[in-house]
Amino acid sequence: MLANKEITPSELTEESISLAKRYASLNCFNVINEEAAIAQSRNLSFDSNNLLSCIPIAHKDLFCIKDLETTCSSKILEGYKPPYTATVVKNLENAGCITIAKTNMDEFAMGSSNETSYFGNVHNPWLKNHVPGGSSGGAAASVASGIVPLATGTDTGGSIRQPAALCNLTGLKPTYGRISRWGMIAFASSLDQAGPIAHTAKDCAIALDAMTGHDSKDSTSLHLGKTTTLETLEKHTSLTLGIVKEFNGQLSAEMELAFQKSIMTYQSLGYKIKEITLPNIKYSVPTYYVIAPAECSSNLSRFDGVRFGFRSKNIQNLEDLYVKSRSEGFGNEVKRRILIGTYVLSAGYYDAYYKKAQQVRRLIAEDFNSAFKECDLILTPTSPGTTFAFDSKGSKDPTELYLEDLFTIAANLAGIPAISVPQAFVNNLPSGHQLIGPHLSESAILQTAHHFQLNSDWHLKSPSMESFL
Amino acid sequence: MDQNSAQKIESDLDVILSMIDELQEVDTSKIEPMFSPIEQTAIVYDDVISSDNLKEDFLTQAPNSDNNFFKVPKVVE
Repeated sequence: MLANKEITPSELTEESISLAKRYASLNCFNVINEEAAIAQSRNLSFDSNNLLSCIPIAHKDLFCIKDLETTCSSKILEGYKPPYTATVVKNLENAGCITIAKTNMDEFAMGSSNETSYFGNVHNPWLKNHVPGGSSGGAAASVASGIVPLATGTDTGGSIRQPAALCNLTGLKPTYGRISRWGMIAFASSLDQAGPIAHTAKDCAIALDAMTGHDSKDSTSLHLGKTTTLETLEKHTSLTLGIVKEFNGQLSAEMELAFQKSIMTYQSLGYKIKEITLPNIKYSVPTYYVIAPAECSSNLSRFDGVRFGFRSKNIQNLEDLYVKSRSEGFGNEVKRRILIGTYVLSAGYYDAYYKKAQQVRRLIAEDFNSAFKECDLILTPTSPGTTFAFDSKGSKDPTELYLEDLFTIAANLAGIPAISVPQAFVNNLPSGHQLIGPHLSESAILQTAHHFQLNSDWHLKSPSMESFL
Repeated sequence: MDQNSAQKIESDLDVILSMIDELQEVDTSKIEPMFSPIEQTAIVYDDVISSDNLKEDFLTQAPNSDNNFFKVPKVVE
């Protein structure tokens, strides 16, 4: 429409902001960047050679954007306006994207349902009072509702892929190090990776090619140029897809049926299906819940009420300042993970927990290396179920919610790329399957997902949004 | 943390730690820990002076500051 001049860049930006306001009850945004976005859209002219030119985008509220409030959905960062902009945001802005808003998320990305945000729950656009998934729940809701065509997310254990599955979207977690983490507020530094959430694999490819590239400001950024996944998207080779033996019997009958339909679609397109084994995969959730809290307890020590963000009003001395600012500033899930993290890192427990988990992590990564000798990509469900009602999981037993990420966590531990792709609905609600590949196999993953989407129409379905007016 | 929250967190931690204890059944006797998915050595930067000092910008974000310092309650009597 931009190319045919049916709409101008500023009309498109204003329409996106007006939708954001119309669907305010979704609660998917922490802040709308109205003035700056409109000003930017008036100054930009449409570039027909650039697929992201003048495209409205929403960024997860853990990417620093200069002078725009960035909170990680935590009280402890209330009012924080970063003096710099994250590399990934800059890369997308350089490609022509216009930042419309910052999206709601689980506090510091700790959660799988977007129920730990200081700013309240995000609704799933497909079903009110049900979770959009997490932690990039606001990002998924903002795309699924049609407010923006593209959003950034981050994925530490499934936080892009699981909300994508629950909201009928395509979400890509690239290889660790593909996208700069500079300016992205850290949760677990050896697991965190930014990525795109969009309707289709093609849109994810366009976004990925803009987001990637080496960044000298991030010491874990890979020394590689930008990806060129769009160029090779239409190349379809019939690959061998591995089905994980250990995941048999983990799904309800309805979810299993939806997954089997995806397998059949791939078979009909000429893909070979082969059972593979990942013997240590069952340890991925406990391994993650040692490593992620350990890294978070270290990363979150910087929030102390001294240099930025929230400081408790009720303080007498320096110790009060630290203790009360952190006690009042962090929510329960964050506190729980900091406590676990400091415990597993403490002298006397370090070898039994932290070192042990890092050893099991290597076994899990080696399992993937062996599996990729038998198959090109691995095909799994993305999450064990569809969306669920607010407060229905994890209030009695926190590990119940942790198991939401059963299928997604291992890719983060190994640092390998994976995508979630919409598949058959279950009881009228979206579900997704996941394609996992070896390091740097984003092109093959996106080609395969694109091939599936050329031969299915699940990704084209959108929610009615009537209940959010 | 009040008494109720402390009790809730204590019971949550027990559940989480018993899940984590499953790792003890894995034989890792000859396995090197994998601390990062990228096992590259530290990057050496060129010895070039950069002028990215955003001191004033950062101080504007402080809950309390004075001249060039972050202000906190008095530590020494």
